[in-house]
Amino acid sequence: MLRFVLSRALKAVLTVWIAITSTFFLLRLLPGDPTTLMVEGDMTPEMQAALLKTYGLDRPLWEQYVSYLRELIQGNLGISFRQIQPVTDIILDRLPWTLLLAGSAFVLTIAVGIPIGVTAAVNRGKWLDRALQGFGISANALFVPSVAILLLVFFGAQLGWFPIGGAIDPDTRGLGAYLSLAHHLVLPVLSLVLVQLGPYALTLRTNMIEVLGEDYIRAAQARGLSARRRVWKHGLRNAILPALTLMGLQLGTLVGGAVLTETVFAYPGVGRLIYEAVGQQDYPVIQGAFIMLAVTVVFANALTDMLYAVLNPRIRL
Amino acid sequence: MAVKGRWRLAVALGVVATLGVSGCGLNEDNNSSSGNSSSETVLRIGTTTDVSNFNPLQSLSKTDSWILNAMYPHLLRIDENAQKAPELAKEYRYEDDGKTAVFVLRDDFKWSDGKPVVADDVKFSAEKIMEYKLGNVAAKLTWVESVEAPDATTVKFKLSQPYAPFAEGVGFWMAVVPKHIFEPAGDLSKFANDSNWVGAGPFVLDSVTKGQRYVMKRNEHYPLAPGGKAAVSQVEYRVYPDVNTMMLALRNGDIDLMGTPVPISAAKTFEGDDKIKLEKVGALGFAHLTYNMKNKYLADQQVRQALSMAVDTKAIISAVLQGDGQQMAGPISPIFSEYDNTELQPYPFDPEGAKAKLSAAGYKDGNNDGFFDELSFGVACDQSNANITRVVQLFRESAAKAGIKLENECVERNTFLTRTKNGEYDIDASQWGVFDNPMDQLRSTYLSSNPGGINYNLLESAEMDALINDAAGTTDPEEFKTKIKNIDKVVHEQAYLTPLYVENFQFAYNASKFTGFVASPSDLLGMVTAYSLAQVTPVK
Repeated sequence: MLRFVLSRALKAVLTVWIAITSTFFLLRLLPGDPTTLMVEGDMTPEMQAALLKTYGLDRPLWEQYVSYLRELIQGNLGISFRQIQPVTDIILDRLPWTLLLAGSAFVLTIAVGIPIGVTAAVNRGKWLDRALQGFGISANALFVPSVAILLLVFFGAQLGWFPIGGAIDPDTRGLGAYLSLAHHLVLPVLSLVLVQLGPYALTLRTNMIEVLGEDYIRAAQARGLSARRRVWKHGLRNAILPALTLMGLQLGTLVGGAVLTETVFAYPGVGRLIYEAVGQQDYPVIQGAFIMLAVTVVFANALTDMLYAVLNPRIRL
Repeated sequence: MAVKGRWRLAVALGVVATLGVSGCGLNEDNNSSSGNSSSETVLRIGTTTDVSNFNPLQSLSKTDSWILNAMYPHLLRIDENAQKAPELAKEYRYEDDGKTAVFVLRDDFKWSDGKPVVADDVKFSAEKIMEYKLGNVAAKLTWVESVEAPDATTVKFKLSQPYAPFAEGVGFWMAVVPKHIFEPAGDLSKFANDSNWVGAGPFVLDSVTKGQRYVMKRNEHYPLAPGGKAAVSQVEYRVYPDVNTMMLALRNGDIDLMGTPVPISAAKTFEGDDKIKLEKVGALGFAHLTYNMKNKYLADQQVRQALSMAVDTKAIISAVLQGDGQQMAGPISPIFSEYDNTELQPYPFDPEGAKAKLSAAGYKDGNNDGFFDELSFGVACDQSNANITRVVQLFRESAAKAGIKLENECVERNTFLTRTKNGEYDIDASQWGVFDNPMDQLRSTYLSSNPGGINYNLLESAEMDALINDAAGTTDPEEFKTKIKNIDKVVHEQAYLTPLYVENFQFAYNASKFTGFVASPSDLLGMVTAYSLAQVTPVK
């Protein structure tokens, strides 16, 4: 077990290092530099050179890379070019919002996806299954920003049930603040869930159909177990394993989806930070945010692997 | 049932956990401020992005300037007609044959901590900008040898040579900061100025919730507001990165004004809404096609004139701007009415005439493919600019009728800007952002020394240099105007560029709640200048 955990951790560190290195060099391969987008005109070449020097971008690439890694190991993500603030502070400021948004969407996708997948599998071939499959496939084809805008127009502007953008009414306090938080959260979470739900429910349905045909389920039936117990206790436990892996993988997509969702809903998370930083070529912020994303996804996958090993007695460590 | 119960518990725990994690993000206003009492009137404005730099001497961002302009006074402001009007300065004049610019300040501006705004604050701001080469104002102070503040209301800039629009440029662009707050901060290139703000505009920042809102409280002494202070007690900027979301927020009453202009294609959505009013202003820049003089064929005046005759600007204005734009002839925008050059006419759209002109100049279509053999050019543009991308398509079609082959080279924005910077294009199709005066524009765009890096023609002409430098040193206003108009004419005849249009911007606000905005041209500050916000009154 220890050996497994160690090798998994080593792989994770390696993956993160590759992510850091490729982000670092890809950003610098982009045409232009952070001064390109600052202001048109009125910025003399000398001023641009001075700014690049301030940012340390006048040094050779490998030198920048080595000093970046050195700082990184000490936990220093650098200073934002635009905001003159430590990147760590900027990201930590935004991270809770993305965790809340992506976390709620994650939980809700599982909570809704499981009953949908199971119900479809149990009613295989019937109209309910067909309807759920149809829903799953169309949800798969949805594009986050379009869903987001549609939800905003309909539930926000037409019906007026939900606020247009933002994460909370900053004037509320105490319980009111939590209610306002939840109120603002509904539409962004809904748009993420709608997009995620399709693949998840469909995978679960397929697994479930397979599992329900297994001998042990028939054996359970022969032992006189109720249908509900057969499906939910014996069936789901086995069908959920591949779906778990899928969720681990989808966590990356979820955070990626947050970039677009947060932008449309004016939600102050890391996703929107990335959107803004890319527009300004603020290298330290983009790098910092990508490292954080890479770590999150790698960590989640490592965790899924371990959880899988624990949950599945067929895998012996 | 037990399984179901456990699931419920797990879901509940998950929700509680995520709420708990994000709890630290709540109530994070970094200064106090909350709870609006009923007597307060709050004006809520939509902005597109967070403030990136609170130091007004350093910031280069348009959206930063919306908030900073309301806090830090400028010597001059820009009025509805693109003219410079007094703000902190009552008046300005030149002495010493144009080698000294003198500003006379008002004596009734006050910092929000009660101290008066004095000439020393202006001197300090200018000197620090020069010392640390801060922001885009440093370039405007190039000619300054020294700054003097002989008394509390007089500031003198001693210049190395006369430069006609010096006072206008510095007066409009330079923010004045409180010396007693900024001096103790030391190195101003590293000063973030991100808390405990002291300003002398109509509003001063009070609290910031990053990613969400910026709350500004009224400065109780603002002499340019009727009644000595703004009628609105609080201005709140809310961040909407997506303009569609911002429009919905305005319609829904979540905000009262959009800081950013409404896209032309979307303006119709407000038509049925009688609460929302649109205010139209002109631009300080314009869209243009600029010809790279390093290209052998584009260096030929006949070719450039023929290209200008192959652009149907009227059709472009009606197709791209739905008719909502003005035609131009020379490089000086019609918004600067004092330089009005009515005798100049845009080149007529006449592809056949262009073809005849090129044949007369000796160009041939040897292989009979309908195109002149040598005349094939790439048109570079930023593909994120939908209007310009459309212009390039239309230009390509109409130029083909004149026998000129064009390739569409519209690329991603960064790539485009880099190519522009390196001169890697034949024809540059783009939009000038903001030129607040024609002299600065002509210097930046046509001087061989290319001081602003935007001489997209890569023109090196001794004649143009002489004309521009001569005008720049002219201090007599009438003579100056005549010289500027002459350069306008020369550029037109040379067809160094084909100006396409000056577009209009439309700003949307909730007229059932607020009135009195004073719009300034362009989307640089639009409706949110300090002066405009100070004039706004709630609708009773």
